[in-house]
Amino acid sequence: MLNKQLEFLVVLQDLDIMIQDIEDVKQIGFAVAGKEKLEEARRELTEKLGKPVLFNYENLRKRYKRAIVPVKDETCLGCFMRVPTVLITRGRSDQNVINCEGCGRILYWYE
Amino acid sequence: MQVVWANKNNNTHCPDKGEGMDNSELTQYFNPSLFNTKLKAKTKLDCLEELTTLFVENKDIRTGGIVLTMLRERELLGSTGIGKNVAIPHGRTTATMEVKIAFGRSETGIDFGSTDKKPVKLIFVVLAPPQDKDNKYLPILGKLVEVLSVLKNRNKLLKVEAFEEFIDVIEGK
Repeated sequence: MLNKQLEFLVVLQDLDIMIQDIEDVKQIGFAVAGKEKLEEARRELTEKLGKPVLFNYENLRKRYKRAIVPVKDETCLGCFMRVPTVLITRGRSDQNVINCEGCGRILYWYE
Repeated sequence: MQVVWANKNNNTHCPDKGEGMDNSELTQYFNPSLFNTKLKAKTKLDCLEELTTLFVENKDIRTGGIVLTMLRERELLGSTGIGKNVAIPHGRTTATMEVKIAFGRSETGIDFGSTDKKPVKLIFVVLAPPQDKDNKYLPILGKLVEVLSVLKNRNKLLKVEAFEEFIDVIEGK
Protein backbone atom coordinates (compact mmCIF):
# COMPACT_ATOMS: atom_id res chain seq x y z
CA MET A 1 0.00 0.00 0.00
CA LEU A 2 1.48 3.30 -1.11
CA ASN A 3 1.99 5.97 1.55
CA LYS A 4 -0.87 8.44 1.09
CA GLN A 5 1.38 11.48 1.18
CA LEU A 6 3.62 9.98 -1.51
CA GLU A 7 0.57 9.04 -3.58
CA PHE A 8 -0.78 12.60 -3.29
CA LEU A 9 2.62 13.99 -4.27
CA VAL A 10 2.79 11.83 -7.40
CA VAL A 11 -0.76 12.83 -8.33
CA LEU A 12 0.21 16.48 -7.73
CA GLN A 13 3.20 16.17 -10.04
CA ASP A 14 1.03 14.48 -12.72
CA LEU A 15 -1.44 17.34 -12.38
CA ASP A 16 1.32 19.95 -12.72
CA ILE A 17 2.59 18.20 -15.85
CA MET A 18 -0.95 18.12 -17.27
CA ILE A 19 -1.35 21.86 -16.69
CA GLN A 20 1.99 22.47 -18.46
CA ASP A 21 1.00 20.23 -21.38
CA ILE A 22 -2.35 21.92 -22.08
CA GLU A 23 -1.24 23.93 -25.09
CA ASP A 24 0.50 20.97 -26.77
CA VAL A 25 -2.52 18.71 -26.33
CA LYS A 26 -4.81 21.46 -27.60
CA GLN A 27 -2.72 21.71 -30.80
CA ILE A 28 -3.39 18.05 -31.57
CA GLY A 29 -7.09 18.81 -31.46
CA PHE A 30 -8.29 17.67 -28.05
CA ALA A 31 -10.91 19.74 -26.28
CA VAL A 32 -9.32 21.58 -23.36
CA ALA A 33 -11.78 23.86 -21.69
CA GLY A 34 -11.49 23.10 -17.99
CA LYS A 35 -8.12 24.49 -16.94
CA GLU A 36 -9.71 26.16 -13.92
CA LYS A 37 -11.14 22.78 -12.84
CA LEU A 38 -7.64 21.33 -12.90
CA GLU A 39 -6.33 24.23 -10.87
CA GLU A 40 -9.15 23.68 -8.37
CA ALA A 41 -8.26 19.97 -8.20
CA ARG A 42 -4.65 20.98 -7.57
CA ARG A 43 -5.66 23.31 -4.75
CA GLU A 44 -7.78 20.60 -3.12
CA LEU A 45 -4.90 18.14 -3.40
CA THR A 46 -2.39 20.48 -1.76
CA GLU A 47 -4.75 20.76 1.23
CA LYS A 48 -4.36 17.03 1.79
CA LEU A 49 -0.59 17.30 1.99
CA GLY A 50 1.33 18.09 5.15
CA LYS A 51 2.92 21.55 5.03
CA PRO A 52 6.55 20.34 5.22
CA VAL A 53 5.91 17.79 2.45
CA LEU A 54 4.29 20.38 0.20
CA PHE A 55 7.04 22.93 0.97
CA ASN A 56 9.65 20.30 0.03
CA TYR A 57 7.83 19.51 -3.24
CA GLU A 58 7.40 23.17 -4.24
CA ASN A 59 11.05 23.94 -3.50
CA LEU A 60 12.22 20.99 -5.56
CA ARG A 61 9.93 22.06 -8.41
CA LYS A 62 11.60 25.45 -8.48
CA ARG A 63 15.02 23.83 -8.57
CA TYR A 64 14.39 20.98 -10.97
CA LYS A 65 11.96 20.33 -13.79
CA ARG A 66 10.53 17.37 -11.85
CA ALA A 67 10.45 17.10 -8.08
CA ILE A 68 9.71 13.37 -8.04
CA VAL A 69 11.86 10.93 -9.97
CA PRO A 70 11.80 7.17 -10.37
CA VAL A 71 14.31 4.75 -8.96
CA LYS A 72 15.57 2.14 -11.38
CA ASP A 73 18.13 -0.54 -10.57
CA GLU A 74 18.56 1.11 -7.18
CA THR A 75 19.63 4.34 -8.87
CA CYS A 76 17.97 7.75 -8.67
CA LEU A 77 17.06 8.67 -12.26
CA GLY A 78 17.35 12.36 -11.37
CA CYS A 79 21.08 12.40 -10.59
CA PHE A 80 22.03 8.79 -11.33
CA MET A 81 23.46 8.31 -7.85
CA ARG A 82 23.04 4.91 -6.29
CA VAL A 83 20.46 4.90 -3.52
CA PRO A 84 21.87 3.55 -0.21
CA THR A 85 20.51 0.14 0.82
CA VAL A 86 18.91 1.52 3.96
CA LEU A 87 16.86 3.98 1.88
CA ILE A 88 15.93 1.28 -0.61
CA THR A 89 14.46 -0.81 2.19
CA ARG A 90 12.56 2.17 3.57
CA GLY A 91 11.47 3.32 0.12
CA ARG A 92 10.26 -0.08 -0.99
CA SER A 93 8.16 -0.40 2.14
CA ASP A 94 6.29 2.66 0.86
CA GLN A 95 5.89 4.01 4.36
CA ASN A 96 7.97 7.12 3.87
CA VAL A 97 8.56 9.99 1.53
CA ILE A 98 12.27 9.57 0.75
CA ASN A 99 14.56 12.20 -0.73
CA CYS A 100 17.61 11.27 -2.78
CA GLU A 101 20.79 11.85 -0.79
CA GLY A 102 22.51 13.13 -3.95
CA CYS A 103 20.07 15.62 -5.47
CA GLY A 104 17.31 15.87 -2.90
CA ARG A 105 14.53 14.89 -5.28
CA ILE A 106 11.67 12.77 -3.96
CA LEU A 107 12.10 9.12 -4.94
CA TYR A 108 9.39 6.92 -6.39
CA TRP A 109 9.79 3.18 -6.76
CA TYR A 110 7.75 2.47 -9.82
CA GLU A 111 8.21 -1.31 -9.69
CA MET B 1 -15.01 18.94 -31.74
CA GLN B 2 -11.63 20.23 -32.64
CA VAL B 3 -10.17 17.14 -34.27
CA VAL B 4 -10.64 17.43 -38.01
CA TRP B 5 -11.48 14.09 -39.54
CA ALA B 6 -10.34 12.66 -42.86
CA ASN B 7 -12.18 13.61 -46.02
CA LYS B 8 -13.31 11.18 -48.73
CA ASN B 9 -9.76 10.81 -50.01
CA ASN B 10 -8.53 9.99 -46.52
CA ASN B 11 -6.55 13.20 -46.42
CA THR B 12 -6.51 14.40 -42.87
CA HIS B 13 -6.07 17.91 -41.64
CA CYS B 14 -4.81 17.09 -38.20
CA PRO B 15 -2.04 19.28 -36.88
CA ASP B 16 1.39 18.01 -37.79
CA LYS B 17 2.17 16.39 -34.43
CA GLY B 18 1.92 12.93 -35.97
CA GLU B 19 4.27 13.72 -38.79
CA GLY B 20 7.68 12.17 -38.63
CA MET B 21 6.28 8.98 -37.18
CA ASP B 22 5.23 6.16 -39.42
CA ASN B 23 2.44 3.73 -38.68
CA SER B 24 4.77 0.81 -37.98
CA GLU B 25 6.58 2.85 -35.35
CA LEU B 26 3.27 3.46 -33.63
CA THR B 27 2.64 -0.29 -33.36
CA GLN B 28 5.57 -0.81 -30.98
CA TYR B 29 3.63 0.91 -28.19
CA PHE B 30 0.85 -1.70 -28.26
CA ASN B 31 0.93 -5.02 -26.52
CA PRO B 32 -1.36 -8.09 -26.66
CA SER B 33 -1.72 -7.85 -22.86
CA LEU B 34 -3.08 -4.32 -23.25
CA PHE B 35 -5.78 -5.34 -25.70
CA ASN B 36 -9.40 -6.05 -24.81
CA THR B 37 -12.14 -6.24 -27.44
CA LYS B 38 -14.83 -7.09 -24.90
CA LEU B 39 -14.92 -4.33 -22.36
CA LYS B 40 -17.53 -4.89 -19.65
CA ALA B 41 -17.65 -1.28 -18.47
CA LYS B 42 -20.81 0.70 -19.12
CA THR B 43 -19.60 4.07 -17.86
CA LYS B 44 -16.60 6.25 -18.66
CA LEU B 45 -15.07 5.88 -15.19
CA ASP B 46 -15.54 2.10 -15.15
CA CYS B 47 -13.98 1.96 -18.61
CA LEU B 48 -10.93 3.93 -17.47
CA GLU B 49 -10.63 1.61 -14.47
CA GLU B 50 -10.94 -1.53 -16.59
CA LEU B 51 -8.23 -0.38 -18.97
CA THR B 52 -5.98 0.88 -16.16
CA THR B 53 -6.16 -2.60 -14.65
CA LEU B 54 -4.56 -3.96 -17.82
CA PHE B 55 -1.49 -1.79 -17.18
CA VAL B 56 -1.27 -3.09 -13.61
CA GLU B 57 -1.66 -6.72 -14.69
CA ASN B 58 1.01 -6.19 -17.34
CA LYS B 59 3.27 -4.67 -14.64
CA ASP B 60 3.60 -1.38 -16.53
CA ILE B 61 2.50 0.39 -13.36
CA ARG B 62 2.52 -0.67 -9.72
CA THR B 63 -0.93 0.41 -8.69
CA GLY B 64 -3.85 1.73 -10.66
CA GLY B 65 -4.87 4.49 -8.25
CA ILE B 66 -2.42 7.17 -9.37
CA VAL B 67 -3.03 6.61 -13.08
CA LEU B 68 -6.78 6.43 -12.64
CA THR B 69 -6.73 9.73 -10.76
CA MET B 70 -4.64 11.29 -13.53
CA LEU B 71 -7.03 10.04 -16.23
CA ARG B 72 -10.08 11.28 -14.31
CA GLU B 73 -8.45 14.68 -13.87
CA ARG B 74 -7.65 14.76 -17.57
CA GLU B 75 -11.35 14.34 -18.26
CA LEU B 76 -12.00 17.44 -16.12
CA LEU B 77 -10.02 19.41 -18.65
CA GLY B 78 -12.31 18.29 -21.46
CA SER B 79 -13.57 14.97 -22.72
CA THR B 80 -11.06 12.82 -24.53
CA GLY B 81 -13.96 11.46 -26.56
CA ILE B 82 -13.00 12.97 -29.90
CA GLY B 83 -16.13 11.92 -31.78
CA LYS B 84 -16.89 9.20 -34.34
CA ASN B 85 -17.10 6.59 -31.54
CA VAL B 86 -13.48 7.20 -30.52
CA ALA B 87 -11.88 8.23 -27.22
CA ILE B 88 -8.18 8.68 -26.45
CA PRO B 89 -7.75 9.17 -22.70
CA HIS B 90 -4.12 10.17 -22.20
CA GLY B 91 -1.60 11.73 -19.92
CA ARG B 92 1.91 11.82 -18.61
CA THR B 93 2.37 10.11 -15.29
CA THR B 94 5.22 9.64 -12.85
CA ALA B 95 3.90 6.11 -12.34
CA THR B 96 5.22 4.76 -15.64
CA MET B 97 8.66 4.51 -17.22
CA GLU B 98 7.67 4.00 -20.85
CA VAL B 99 5.00 5.06 -23.31
CA LYS B 100 2.27 2.40 -23.44
CA ILE B 101 -1.10 2.24 -25.14
CA ALA B 102 -4.03 0.08 -24.09
CA PHE B 103 -6.85 -0.61 -26.51
CA GLY B 104 -10.38 -1.44 -25.49
CA ARG B 105 -13.57 -1.92 -27.45
CA SER B 106 -17.09 -1.68 -26.16
CA GLU B 107 -19.80 -3.41 -28.15
CA THR B 108 -22.61 -1.26 -26.78
CA GLY B 109 -20.73 2.01 -26.56
CA ILE B 110 -19.99 4.25 -23.59
CA ASP B 111 -21.03 7.83 -22.98
CA PHE B 112 -17.74 9.77 -22.89
CA GLY B 113 -19.33 13.17 -23.22
CA SER B 114 -18.00 13.46 -26.77
CA THR B 115 -19.01 16.61 -28.59
CA ASP B 116 -20.84 14.64 -31.30
CA LYS B 117 -22.75 12.85 -28.48
CA LYS B 118 -22.01 9.48 -30.06
CA PRO B 119 -21.26 6.57 -27.71
CA VAL B 120 -17.60 5.60 -27.67
CA LYS B 121 -16.70 2.12 -28.86
CA LEU B 122 -12.98 2.42 -29.54
CA ILE B 123 -10.87 3.51 -26.59
CA PHE B 124 -7.11 4.05 -26.61
CA VAL B 125 -5.48 4.87 -23.26
CA VAL B 126 -2.08 6.46 -23.80
CA LEU B 127 0.32 6.70 -20.84
CA ALA B 128 3.70 8.36 -20.97
CA PRO B 129 6.38 9.15 -18.42
CA PRO B 130 7.00 12.83 -17.57
CA GLN B 131 10.07 12.89 -19.80
CA ASP B 132 9.86 10.13 -22.34
CA LYS B 133 12.90 9.15 -24.33
CA ASP B 134 12.95 11.01 -27.67
CA ASN B 135 9.79 12.87 -26.59
CA LYS B 136 7.47 10.55 -28.50
CA TYR B 137 4.30 11.26 -26.54
CA LEU B 138 2.86 14.06 -28.67
CA PRO B 139 3.78 12.50 -32.03
CA ILE B 140 2.13 9.27 -30.83
CA LEU B 141 -1.08 11.11 -29.92
CA GLY B 142 -1.04 12.93 -33.24
CA LYS B 143 -0.42 9.76 -35.22
CA LEU B 144 -3.18 7.94 -33.39
CA VAL B 145 -5.64 10.72 -34.18
CA GLU B 146 -4.50 10.56 -37.80
CA VAL B 147 -5.02 6.76 -38.05
CA LEU B 148 -8.40 6.98 -36.35
CA SER B 149 -9.56 9.81 -38.54
CA VAL B 150 -9.81 7.35 -41.44
CA LEU B 151 -13.29 5.80 -41.66
CA LYS B 152 -11.96 2.54 -43.12
CA ASN B 153 -9.64 2.08 -40.14
CA ARG B 154 -12.40 2.76 -37.62
CA ASN B 155 -14.69 0.28 -39.33
CA LYS B 156 -11.98 -2.38 -39.27
CA LEU B 157 -11.21 -1.71 -35.61
CA LEU B 158 -14.86 -2.22 -34.75
CA LYS B 159 -14.52 -5.78 -36.07
CA VAL B 160 -11.01 -7.00 -35.24
CA GLU B 161 -10.72 -9.88 -32.80
CA ALA B 162 -7.06 -10.88 -32.87
CA PHE B 163 -4.23 -8.59 -31.80
CA GLU B 164 -2.39 -9.29 -35.09
CA GLU B 165 -5.39 -8.04 -37.09
CA PHE B 166 -5.47 -4.96 -34.91
CA ILE B 167 -1.78 -4.24 -35.57
CA ASP B 168 -2.39 -4.64 -39.32
CA VAL B 169 -5.04 -1.90 -39.15
CA ILE B 170 -2.73 0.42 -37.20
CA GLU B 171 0.02 -0.26 -39.74
CA GLY B 172 -2.38 0.67 -42.51
CA LYS B 173 -2.34 -2.74 -44.19
